[in-house]
Amino acid sequence: MGVKGKNGTSAEAAGLLHPSTDKVLVIEGTHSASYAVKLAHVNVIAAYPITPQTGVVEKLSEIVSDGELNAKFIKVESEHSAMACCIGASITGARAFTATSSQGLALMHELLHWAGGSRLPIVMVNVNRAMAPPWSIYVDHNDSLSQRDTGWIQFYAESNQEVLDTVLQAYKIAETVSLPVMINLDAFVLSHTSEPVAIPRQEVVDAFLPARKASFKLDTNDPRAFGAMIGPDGYMEMRYKLDSAMNDARTVIREVDTEYSRLFGRNYGGLVEEYRTEDAEIVLATSATAVSIARIAVDELRVLGFPVGLAKIRAFRPFPLDEMQSLAHRVGKIGVLDRNFSFGASGIIYQETKASLYNSNVHPRLFGFIAGLGGRDITPDTIKEIFSYMMNHDAPETEAVWIGLKTEKTIAEQNALTLSNDTGRK
Amino acid sequence: MAQYRYTTVEEMPPLAFSLESTRKIPTGSWRHVRPVYVEKTSPCQIGCPASEKIPEYFDLVRQKKYEEAWYTILEDNPLPGVTGRVCYHPCEGKCNRSPYDEPVAVHVIERFVADKNFKNTRQPNTDASPKSAKVAVIGSGPAGLSCAYQLARRGYRTVMYEAEHEPGGMLRYGIPGYRLPKAVLDKEIRDIVSLGVEVNTDKRIGGNVPWNEIEKYDAVFVAVGASNSSKLAIEGEDLKGFYSGIEFLHELNVGSSPEIGNKVLVVGGGNTAIDAARSARRLGKRVTVLYRRTRDEMPAVPEEVEEAMKEGVGIEFLVAPVAAVGNRRKVAKLRMIRMSLGDPDASGRRKPIPIEGSDFELETECVISAVGEVPDLSFLPYSFLKKNSRIFVDGDYLTGVPGIFAGGDAASNPNGTVVDAIRAGKEAAISIDEFLGWRSKGNGLDHSVVRPEDINTFYFPHEKRLEVPRITVDRGISSFSEVNKSIGEDRAVREAERCFGCGTCLHCDVCLTFCPDVAISKDERGEYLIDYDHCKGCGICVNECPREAMELVEEEPQWE
Repeated sequence: MGVKGKNGTSAEAAGLLHPSTDKVLVIEGTHSASYAVKLAHVNVIAAYPITPQTGVVEKLSEIVSDGELNAKFIKVESEHSAMACCIGASITGARAFTATSSQGLALMHELLHWAGGSRLPIVMVNVNRAMAPPWSIYVDHNDSLSQRDTGWIQFYAESNQEVLDTVLQAYKIAETVSLPVMINLDAFVLSHTSEPVAIPRQEVVDAFLPARKASFKLDTNDPRAFGAMIGPDGYMEMRYKLDSAMNDARTVIREVDTEYSRLFGRNYGGLVEEYRTEDAEIVLATSATAVSIARIAVDELRVLGFPVGLAKIRAFRPFPLDEMQSLAHRVGKIGVLDRNFSFGASGIIYQETKASLYNSNVHPRLFGFIAGLGGRDITPDTIKEIFSYMMNHDAPETEAVWIGLKTEKTIAEQNALTLSNDTGRK
Repeated sequence: MAQYRYTTVEEMPPLAFSLESTRKIPTGSWRHVRPVYVEKTSPCQIGCPASEKIPEYFDLVRQKKYEEAWYTILEDNPLPGVTGRVCYHPCEGKCNRSPYDEPVAVHVIERFVADKNFKNTRQPNTDASPKSAKVAVIGSGPAGLSCAYQLARRGYRTVMYEAEHEPGGMLRYGIPGYRLPKAVLDKEIRDIVSLGVEVNTDKRIGGNVPWNEIEKYDAVFVAVGASNSSKLAIEGEDLKGFYSGIEFLHELNVGSSPEIGNKVLVVGGGNTAIDAARSARRLGKRVTVLYRRTRDEMPAVPEEVEEAMKEGVGIEFLVAPVAAVGNRRKVAKLRMIRMSLGDPDASGRRKPIPIEGSDFELETECVISAVGEVPDLSFLPYSFLKKNSRIFVDGDYLTGVPGIFAGGDAASNPNGTVVDAIRAGKEAAISIDEFLGWRSKGNGLDHSVVRPEDINTFYFPHEKRLEVPRITVDRGISSFSEVNKSIGEDRAVREAERCFGCGTCLHCDVCLTFCPDVAISKDERGEYLIDYDHCKGCGICVNECPREAMELVEEEPQWE
């Protein structure tokens, strides 16, 4: 599990040892996804291996060949075909799964639109890996964020336990609103790091996630053409319906997380989890494993008396509008730490946060930070540097403040900052 | 067609899909090529002189339908227990699996099927109506047995004449028991006889049966084999201690023990030579085979040569006898000369040329010569046309005399092996059937043979060929018990699964699974149906078919 502060430890221990737990395994994030797929009784798996996703399908292929999961495992020649197989399987009413990473996800792009537009509840695990060139196998989020507009729900996981839990939640959400779901986990930081993971009992999962009931499906005895040509008189309505489903997903994600908590003793705050935001004046919003690092930094800064807090953005699509607006009403400064970049603009979550607040009547100062690209470590010091910047600036100097960039002067030096009881406290 | 018109977004389904079945769209008209199921010929079936339907019976073995597999072989060959043991399996040499990993062990499976049905008796065909014509078959070797069997199956009254005391010809008197146990032969002959074949043993045509008795038949098949050994044509060949290979094996097979001393020389490189050498080893003798060419030119089955060497048989290559030296009218030494290989001769093999002055002598107590056999045709009263001391026959096995057919080693088109004789018997029976006014159904082999590149090897994991289990060499040379052991069911099925099934539909459902238009279905008998109203002719089924049992044919243009 991700490192959480002292408040998190006991809750997590309780989560692991919950009555719904069958056993606790120490496993990598990739295998955590595989076990969830097994528990979800997925019918069709089609995937193409790519570092660092490979463990997901390796473990699944073992599970299927050992007969532990009665699924069709389709070997394919590309990610494009993998997604095509999932689409074909899903449209017949089957539960389909794939996993990929980075360039593989990019190759799927055309079919991501197809899956979203076809309203198919496919679940995919994407192990976030930086896009080439230059080649990298390490984490950042440009791969999945580049797929923002394909009609997929997107989650970012903080721990291996959350990967397993979110895959199970994802099928329920996907099948409720008829949309595909992508669960993202950080390359190596989660994918190749072993953590204790509670594997829930099958019967509890079955009660939570019954067999899929497709609202429409391909039936060879009554063949229909799906996703066929539609004229200008109907296309807009189809798009509108897709967005309505995304809108509905906001509520469904919260409800499913609550139900999950009731059955399994763990929840993740729906779309956004707030951490120590009570009476906070400065809040950092970020996602994935950076959150667990930020928890440490926030705890340490709180000990020093700084009024800082944290917002974990778990769902990026649908974007947590209500949650971000609610936060904006309560704090003076919000920083967004992006492990991605939209060239010619700024960090993507920063832009979206800013846009989500524009029509609101409260406007806290927004800061956009860039760190951890291509797998560079985000440490508690990185987070402290970010908080320090916000404490010492009324407004950001640029749209994107790059943290840890190897310039002649580091940002820290430029700002000549030190953190102590005397500075920053208001 | 019902008209639906949505006016509001709330009414619309989540995804655009057709409101009526797409079956109403006859996409078959888009097609310019059509997939069809075809039965192509597997190279093994072409390689098999008896044209056994190998992929078909392998499929039955895979399904553990051993009796059906047996009947499938019996269509073409009534002696699978025999050929499963002694055939030189040219089928395996043609196997499309060879370039992929190793050929399928066809002969082992053939023997397995025969052994599995050892306690079953072949039931007569029910579809052949009895015919009044009577046919005589002279000789009960593999050619005669095969011909009599095929004629009996077609309803003919068939009478066999055999000069020896028991039927079987060379199978009984020429092949040693360690390769072919007599019980196996007896069983398969019993099956042939049970179809209504009359067998007259101890009846020698031209001896105790006059030729004119034969002339009463409506047709005759002469299959007397080749039982006269060729002479070495050297000085001293009439000394005591000289045997022909045929003579020696015959003695052993009737249960007597020929006097051969302790040191035995065998001259020749064919199967008779190797059989004689390995038999002499089993009598505890020191045996050396003398062959005038090299191992590459040896006509004997390579596995047999290898087994002989393992059993301690010595082989001297590039040597030939020039004279025998006697001591008290008994052979004592064989004078040899060394040879070198010159240009290819008529047989295509390089001609051995004596090296002058290379003479040497070998001490011996016995010389077994096995340098070829020719038929004894002294019983034939007419001046039958002959070619190379054998009865001349045309492509239909017809001799110059109407109604008299000949095949096997006695005829002018021999290949000298058991399975070639079985083929001759079968094909001659078809010719006889036609001669007697009926139309025989041959195999009708389509000669578009499946090539290795036609196989979709994606569907076949690499797997090692079955090893034939054998008794130890020590046990082998201590008796005449069978050397090659039978295999169990699991291994047989596993080997059968290695077969690509070239050109034969095995109902694997790959075509049905892959058809993107769901235009392929199965009828109640499990046969595939293609819905040509919807098949667009994309060819995926044909492309995916693992074994070339489908092909695309051009559509006839239909202009309106």
